[in-house]
Amino acid sequence: MAMKISAQDKKDLDKFTKFLALKSAQVIVQSRLGEKKSTQCKMHTTGTDWFNLAIEDLPDVLAETKKALNGEIVSARLPLCVEISLRTVEGDHMVLESWCLGIVPEQCDPSVRVTHTVYNRMGILLKSLVSVTRVTPAYKLSRRQGPDSYIICYRIYMEEPQLHTLGDGYKQVRVGQICTPIGTLQLSVSYRTKMTISPTNNGKDNSIMLKSDHFNTNLSPRQMRYKQNEENNASLNNTMRIGAFADAKRKLPEPEMIIPCVPFSKLLSMRKSPEQKAENDDRTEVEELMAAAVADDSSTLEVDADVAVKGKDDKNGNAKDRPYLGALPTHRFTMTPTNDDFIMVDLKTPFATSNGNSELGKIYREWQTAPPLKTFSEIPPLSDQVPDLTKQLERYETAMKTYDDMVQALCESPNNN
Amino acid sequence: MNARTQIFELAMEGRQVDEAVASIFHTVLFHRSLGKFFYTGEGNYSVGTLGYTDVDCDFIDLTYVCCTSRALDLNLRREISCFSEQLRGNEGTGIGQISLEFFQKKPAKWFGQQECIPWEVWTVRLELLSLQNEDERLVCREKVGDLLTEKVLYITEVMNRHEYLPKMPNQSELGLIFDTSYVDVQPYLFKLNYVSGQSASSSITNTMKKLIKAM
Repeated sequence: MAMKISAQDKKDLDKFTKFLALKSAQVIVQSRLGEKKSTQCKMHTTGTDWFNLAIEDLPDVLAETKKALNGEIVSARLPLCVEISLRTVEGDHMVLESWCLGIVPEQCDPSVRVTHTVYNRMGILLKSLVSVTRVTPAYKLSRRQGPDSYIICYRIYMEEPQLHTLGDGYKQVRVGQICTPIGTLQLSVSYRTKMTISPTNNGKDNSIMLKSDHFNTNLSPRQMRYKQNEENNASLNNTMRIGAFADAKRKLPEPEMIIPCVPFSKLLSMRKSPEQKAENDDRTEVEELMAAAVADDSSTLEVDADVAVKGKDDKNGNAKDRPYLGALPTHRFTMTPTNDDFIMVDLKTPFATSNGNSELGKIYREWQTAPPLKTFSEIPPLSDQVPDLTKQLERYETAMKTYDDMVQALCESPNNN
Repeated sequence: MNARTQIFELAMEGRQVDEAVASIFHTVLFHRSLGKFFYTGEGNYSVGTLGYTDVDCDFIDLTYVCCTSRALDLNLRREISCFSEQLRGNEGTGIGQISLEFFQKKPAKWFGQQECIPWEVWTVRLELLSLQNEDERLVCREKVGDLLTEKVLYITEVMNRHEYLPKMPNQSELGLIFDTSYVDVQPYLFKLNYVSGQSASSSITNTMKKLIKAM
């Protein structure tokens, strides 16, 4: 079986191997240019269309490869490496992958027909190379390159691949192999898997890697996507946090906490109580009195009340809003847009939905929106008020008992609680 | 003769099906297609040059390569799309499989149906997933991309084992081995078969039966 390879076959094989190397380099580099590639089928093969595959020859790449081959017999000088790296605008540099066309002289098959079989298999190997170059991580990176972020670079050399530059945990994939009379040609790629490199983990290029590490964490499309996910999650969490916050609030014994913050809420709740409702005749006057008492020191309340009806009917809006907001706490969202400044609306929503505190919520809303504003918006001019004052005083004196009763009731109310 | 059979099992969202199947079958067809043969005389022929095109997937994180042939692409897509519709349709169970079968024809001896002998079959079994939100879709988009990357690497590995291929025919028998209907490429004769639903699981048995018959 010891068949010697003929001189012609040897010559052909060297030539095929040379063009396999040249075309491989073209395929690899062209796949990293950052653009989609499309070559046309041809009915008739021309001189540069080796292996019946339409692979363009970029002059620069051809020159670089030929420089590396140095005009020598390729099969004798393999392996040939095409190293793909990333360079940032700041000048940082990181090797992403290393493609290697090597030969194992020990594994040879002298019976293989060079002109037909080996040539066709080289065509299949190149097709595999075209397919594989699109699925390694560097492909996605190369599609995202740009002059203001980073560019992809290549280097072609004739020696064993320098795999230490790929960091820890790099992966190796065999694209394919061809058994020939002079040995087995192997085409493989080793690529970086860790785009984040800790400075202690890499020995030789420490200074460079340290910087690259910082930069490339943001560059990997996968990282970008994770980052987006994280951002999405973060924003989701934020919304959820409001919910969680509201829930937590609901569990607290809120009435004790809220009532002291809200002046006169007790008064309003008194007004709503059944006993008070019975005294229908005096009720309006009581309201007026309270409004007058409040008028001086409740500027905040006034502003708030104004805010509450902003965007609605300024004067009569209160009368409409009051029962609406008070009676339908579930419609709280409809009112939220009209009074965005009201933090208290958000704070009390949790109670409004819970059964135990719904009445408090109602009362609070009623107080918040309405009575003072109605009065203030209808304040008559001072000239009208002055003569009216005497009448009012007289009326108040006659109704003294009512006020006494009211004060009495107010004094008793804390005890009732 | 037994046909080589490769089976890929994948789970993905409905809208990813067309692209996933196309990426696998196009990668296979790229390896199993040649330039057009051009005969200059009996026994002498030249082979045309095969062009290739990158295809970016919309719903999967993947770019794959196919032959630059519009007709071949349309043909493949049409069949895949029929399968995809069946699989994703309301009556479907969300499970199905589609096969790319390479075959050669036996020279017809009598008038009658010509016998087709499959020599390589690539099967993709699919199960549909229903995803709830965009986050899950993002993850799935990437996951299916990674899975298909594995498949592409596996395909190239198989292609470089240099196992049986039909012998190069004479001009008169070219149509028994290659599909000569395309103007730009010359793939080995192939056809697509698909099933979805309950029958998908039993189709292997059917394939075996067919194979036994073929033998």
